[in-house]
Parts: sequence; structure tokens; C-alpha cells
Amino acid sequence: MRAHKLTPTRFPGTRIVATPAALDGARWPAGAIVLRTARDEAFVLADVAAGAVDDPHAIVVADAGYAGVWLTTDEAQAYLERYCEWEPPSMRPAFAQGMVGGLATKLWFERDRVLIMTPATVSGDLQERLSAGVTERAA
Amino acid sequence: MTDSHSRRLIVDGAPQPFAEGDSILSALLRAGIQPTSGGALCAAGDCANCLVSVDGIAYVRACQTQARAGLRVERAHADGYPPLPVTERHGPEIHARHLHCDVVVVSQGEAGKAAAEAAHADGNRVIVLDAAGGQEVIGVYPGPLVVARTDAGMLNVHVKRELVVATGAAEIQPVAPGSELSSIFTARAAALMHSAGVALGRVAAIGAAPDGMPCEHVEGQLLRFEDNGRGHVAAIITRDAQGNERRTPCDSVSVGFGLSPRNGLARMAAQVPGLTVRTIGDAAREPDIPPCPLAGIVCGCSGVSVDDLQSVWERGFRELELVKRSTLAGTGTCQGAACIPHIRSFLQNRGGVLQQPFTARPVARQLTMGEVSAGSHHTATPRSALDAEHRALGAYVTRVGGWYRPWNYGNVEAEYWAVREAVSIGDVSTLGKMQISGPDALEALERLYPTKVSTIKTGRSRYVLLLDERGYVLDDGLISKDSDTRYTLTFTSGGATTAELWVRDWVESWGLDVRLLNQTMSLGAINVTGPLATTLLKRLGFDQLLAFMEHREAVIAGVRCKVYRLSFTGEVSYELHHPAEHSVALWRALMRAGADLGIKPHGIEALLKLRLEKGHIIVGQDSDFDSTPRRLNHEWAVKLDKPYFVGKQALLRTNKLPLDKMLVGLEMDGPAPLEGSVVYRGESSDMADYAGYVTSSSFSPLLRKTIMLAWVKLFDGAAPERVSVNGRIAKRVQTPFYDPEAARARA
Repeated sequence: MRAHKLTPTRFPGTRIVATPAALDGARWPAGAIVLRTARDEAFVLADVAAGAVDDPHAIVVADAGYAGVWLTTDEAQAYLERYCEWEPPSMRPAFAQGMVGGLATKLWFERDRVLIMTPATVSGDLQERLSAGVTERAA
Repeated sequence: MTDSHSRRLIVDGAPQPFAEGDSILSALLRAGIQPTSGGALCAAGDCANCLVSVDGIAYVRACQTQARAGLRVERAHADGYPPLPVTERHGPEIHARHLHCDVVVVSQGEAGKAAAEAAHADGNRVIVLDAAGGQEVIGVYPGPLVVARTDAGMLNVHVKRELVVATGAAEIQPVAPGSELSSIFTARAAALMHSAGVALGRVAAIGAAPDGMPCEHVEGQLLRFEDNGRGHVAAIITRDAQGNERRTPCDSVSVGFGLSPRNGLARMAAQVPGLTVRTIGDAAREPDIPPCPLAGIVCGCSGVSVDDLQSVWERGFRELELVKRSTLAGTGTCQGAACIPHIRSFLQNRGGVLQQPFTARPVARQLTMGEVSAGSHHTATPRSALDAEHRALGAYVTRVGGWYRPWNYGNVEAEYWAVREAVSIGDVSTLGKMQISGPDALEALERLYPTKVSTIKTGRSRYVLLLDERGYVLDDGLISKDSDTRYTLTFTSGGATTAELWVRDWVESWGLDVRLLNQTMSLGAINVTGPLATTLLKRLGFDQLLAFMEHREAVIAGVRCKVYRLSFTGEVSYELHHPAEHSVALWRALMRAGADLGIKPHGIEALLKLRLEKGHIIVGQDSDFDSTPRRLNHEWAVKLDKPYFVGKQALLRTNKLPLDKMLVGLEMDGPAPLEGSVVYRGESSDMADYAGYVTSSSFSPLLRKTIMLAWVKLFDGAAPERVSVNGRIAKRVQTPFYDPEAARARA
């Protein structure tokens, strides 16, 4: 675990609201992380063209409203054991979302790292919890 | 420094040595110190007779706590209830940890170990919680959730399938006159203390004898313990089969009255849905039922005697649960571990039926407030992207409408006049912002809002009320039409979350084909307001003339914005909605470009004055839970000739009733009364003339008088023209108080 301060930064991407079928069949940029936040909504950590989804009424907007940090698996485990009341998924990759330590949180699990994001409007609170749950623990 | 000197507890302020492996209890007894004023000791954590305060934490079981050098131990002296700390303590924060598993096994005696191994072999994720290993289970909750206290904080174990309780059995305590004396031990406790090297003196043993130690075995029925005059046992008095009393002098007594299963957690868990509970080993054994107690204290925690049991029995409290409630036996520190066997025996003796133990509920152990609050977090209050900017400008930032917002920047009057006479900017990023798109977008909005949405032209906005099914105002805001199938909705800062759920719920219920995107947290918004607002925006590249309630996309100071011409302050205003990550750049550009125009940022305090002069309501402050558009004097925002909208049926019905109260404008001389002040009819201050209360109140710098919005009752069908507030006369006036023609806002 690292001892330096973990500072959340904005994660720019694209929010898309469209029919579930359009999202299922969307052509996302290669290698982009796609977080399916609802049946009819996705947050893609990349620029997405409006034509990527086959839905003329889709809402496709650039969005930098989430802030977060990448954690190592160990850091994420320490953080989640302390703050997360629900059981995170065990498969990789995986996406999960819910309240973690009183913050609406989105989690993207990869084999060796975990992205943890909250609305940027509460990123100060995320940093506070990261400091207590990861950095201080390592110190 | 000697080794023994380095291993000392501080007991009631005096150092006391302890031996390797000592619990606090054995250390105290070794030093000839009783932990409390008396009572039989079990040395197993079952009873409440060895409670001490350790390092300021009360209700610590001395027998379950390892002695460590420097621990400050204070003994409890009053009825087993230790004094709570009287000084404010700021201990370290207690953390919580969350683990997940299929099976929890409580305790790892032989039965527990075997159960854990078997569950593991079956492919389950198993967690063993053992008090001896430092994990003391304090409760089982719906979830299912098993909570344990550890040295490292609270452990929350979320268990999917099964709880195995292997907690063994507790020894039955004696109940007889004198059982509150010290130097009385259960048989296992006596053996444990003896093996720890604690000198017990002459030991008289009644019932099963303690293992591996010398003692004088006493036959017969226990009658009482004899006091040596200093609170210690001096002898045990028994009666033999022939009815003869026998006195056996001793220094200590060992009591072997049998075992009672420790099944409190199992009884607690039995009420938790979705959890299989299995009790094994001694925890599942049939309890030994002691002889019916004849006299003495049954429940040492609550001071309940055999006489008390008899008294409630005679008054008709004959169920175990009722006896518990009427005497409080079993509700104290040990949660019935010591008294349940005796109360069951008593009730069996009186009623002939052995009743089941009473319900167990969390918590099973006393917790500190720090432990109770471990892992609790406030739901965070959001901050706009300009939060640091406001603070750098000297703003007093406080929570308003569910956000941290700038209340003022140190000079409210200056902020106010900047809006009225020059130009000012305010952070309105907190407004709810939602896009709705789809072939049914218009239909959805027509059903949701009481305005005729179809008459809103593309590029235009309209002020709207949002009503609930009862016709009460839920929120207000704007509908802005972006295209025939796409609209942007705004809501109040405090009502945005509810409004979003409201819109989503209805759209889902109606099965309409729309897409909804909440952008409240992603978009910033800055209100540029004042007679020089247009001049300022022109300087930053926005040279398009917008009509009142018109909106357009534009690039201002390099930031792509959606610009809304509207007004909440009563002056020319533009709301610049933009990606929040550019808020600071846009704010600074506006401040720079407006420096020679007298620009100042304004906070909520100034905004409240400005909007009150215009008579604009704030939903949630000026409205109540039963505020209809008619009561709010907002019928102009409702089109009852629409075929349908949420709340229409209720309005058609309630509009037939006489109007009983309404929101009115008031003005008075002198300073503004507190919001919430009572309004009386005429010059009265008699409750018989109660008319209502003030919802908004401010001294208007421009009008040089106090202006208010207030709810008032109608008397004989009319709102009173003159009222009194705080003993001062106010008169009812029409709103807006300022610029009723809206000439300035539309300029």
C-alpha cells in the first residue's frame, strides 16, 4: 500500500442514455471502460460519438462529473472492508455501484487494480475516506 | 527496573503487580483485591460480578480482559453498576470492518472447530468468531449480520447462510442470602483461579467439586452464606437430609450447581430472517434447573430478589416475558445469563410448567458510544466545483438546500446593490438539471406539469410548478424546449432528488418512451445578473440578444455554455449552464471582465432579499406540505383546461371548497422579524386571533422597510388587511414588492 496522499481527479467520459437494446449493441471505442450504470444508461471512459448507439433519441453527452482514483487490489480491499457493507463482486472485470461509506460510489474491478469513483461534488469526502482507509493504514 | 515492576496494573490509582497470563480478575484476586462489592464469580464472562472500568471504559469484564502493564483499572462499587466516565473523552475513532461469508461459527471449542471444518469442507466460506480469540460477538441483526467487538474495532460479518452457535454452557450461579458476598466462585472459576496460583484459602465446595484443587465438600441444601463482617464469605450454611443446619467455616466457596446452555445468540438469531441457526455442543444441551430459590438476590444486575418474584407472581405476572418486564430481571448487564435458570425454576415451582427462556435481543454486551457509531457515515453534503473559489473570496459557506453554498462574502448590502445597480454573479450549480428525450417526451411533460407544455416554443423556457396527486406543490423550476423531442428541466436545489425520482417513477408507470439524464452533479451554473449583465457577457463573446425566457448555446470565455435568459433577482439575468470542470475558469473570466463594471459575487443571503422583493417563493420555505397553487396565489401557473396532469383531479375537487388560508405579502416599518414569527389578526397578540406565520422576512435596502411573505387564515372569506407580528403592525400588500411590471427583468 502507498503512504502518499490519494487525491481523486475527474474522470472525463461520455454518458449515454438510450434504449437497452441500443446500449447492448453499441459500438464502443476499442479498449474503453464501459460502466453500465442502468439498463438504459452507460458511462464510458472515452469519447463516444452520438452515432455509436442505434437510438435516434439517445442522450449522448460528454461528462466529467465523476472523480476517483485507481487503487491496487490490496488498497481496494482495505478500503472496501472498512466502508462497504455489501459484498463486492469476485469476478474480474466487474462493475458495481452503491453506497460506500456514505458516498454514492461506482467501482470498476480489474485483475490488478480497482477504479473507485464518486460524483465530483463529494470528492473531498472520498479523499477523506481514502486517507483514513488506505493511506493512514499504510503509514 | 525489575521484571515484576515493569508488569503492573494501576488499580484505583495504585500500582499492582500481575503475573504472566493473568486476566485482570486473577491479577486483582492475586493481590487480594475484589473486583466489585461482591457476588459469585464465574471467570467466564457470563455474570456481571467482575465489572471494572479499564482506561476509562466502563463495564469491562475483568475475567475476559488480559492484564497489561499500565492499564488503569477502577473498580465498581455500587450494585454492580460501574460509574460512567464523567469527563469528556476523545478516544481514538473506532473503525468497522466488513467481511462476507457463508457460515459463521461462534466460538472454537471442540464442537465449534469441528463445525467450522465441516462447513469449510462443504465448500463454504467460514468465519470463526471466538471471544477467547478476541472476537466477542455482541449481536445478530437482520441482514443477516453478525457484529463482533475486536481489539482492532468492530467486525461486521455479513453471513449468507448459517450461524453455528458453539458457545458452550455457563455455570449456574447460587441464589441464597449472602450470595452477594465476595470470595464465592463457580466450580470452574475456582479451579481456574487455583491453577493460576491465586490463593483461595480454605475452600468449601457445594455441589460438583472444582477439578484439581483441595476443598472441603459440603453436602445438603444451600441456605445462606455467612458474612465475615467485611463483605467476605466466612462460612456456608447448609441443611442436610434430616433437616439439620450445618455451618462450614471457609475463606472461599465453590458452587457447582450445574450448567445452563449459552444460547442467547441463538435465541437472538432465531428472529433474523434468512438465517439458519444451529446450536451445537454444550450450547445445545438441556439446561440443569436449579432448586427453586427460597431467598436472596436472583438478578444481581437489576437487584431483583426472590421476594420480588413472589410479588409479581401474586400480581398475575406469570409468564417469563412478563416477569422480565415487570421486575427488569434479565435486562441488565449479563442479559439473563445468571438469573434465567432461577426464574425458570421459580415459575416452574409456582406454576408447574418449565417455561422457555425469554427473547434475546442485541446487544449482548455493553458497548461504548464509539463502538456503537463505528462505521457510521454521514451522507456527504455535495459542494459545487466553485466551493474553493467561494472560500478564497472570503465567503461564509454553509449548508443550504442540501449543498454547501456561499451564504455571503462578508458584505451583504454590497452584494445586493451590485445586483440592483451593476452586475453580480452567483453560483447556482446546485439547481437540479435533467434532460428528457424521446418520442413521448412531450406527452410525459404534459402529464407531469400543470402548464400547457405544447405551447412552449423551441428555444424558450417556462416557469412551472410540479404537483403531487393531491394537488400540493412538490417543487418548481423551468421547462426549456430544446427540440420537439428533447427538453431540459430544472428543479430547486433542495427538491431536485425528490423531483427526479418523481419524474422517473411516473414515466416508468406510464410506460412512456423517453430517456432521462440527471446532470445536476455534472453541470455547473452561474447566474449573471444586474443591469450590466448583458454588457458583461458581450465582453466575453456573447453578443446575441436573448429575449426574456429564451435560451441558446454559446461559447463564453472559451467555455461552451447553454445560456438561459430569465430572472429570479428581478434584474436582467442569464444562467450559464456549463460542464462543471470549467466552472472556475468561467467564474474567474466573468470576475475579471466585470471588474470595472463593479462586479461582485452574491451569496444566498443577498439572493433571498432580492427574490423576496420580487415576491418569488422558495418551495419548502414559503410552501408547506398542503400548499396548493390557489393557496400560494399561483393559479396562473395551472391550466385546468388541460385534459390531464398529476394533481388535476384533486385541484378540481379542492377548488370547490372555500379558500381557508393563503400566502400573502406583508410590509412593516422597522427591522425584520424572525422567519416563523406568529401573525395575529389586527393588533391582537391573543391566540384566539392567531392568523398564521411568517415564511420569509427581510429588510429591503431599496424599499427601506421590512417585507414578508406569510401564511394567513381567511376570516369571513378574506385575508386580514392589518396584522401584528412581534407586537408590531404590518399591512397586507400585493406582491411583487418591487418592479411589479417586471420591466427591469425584461429590459
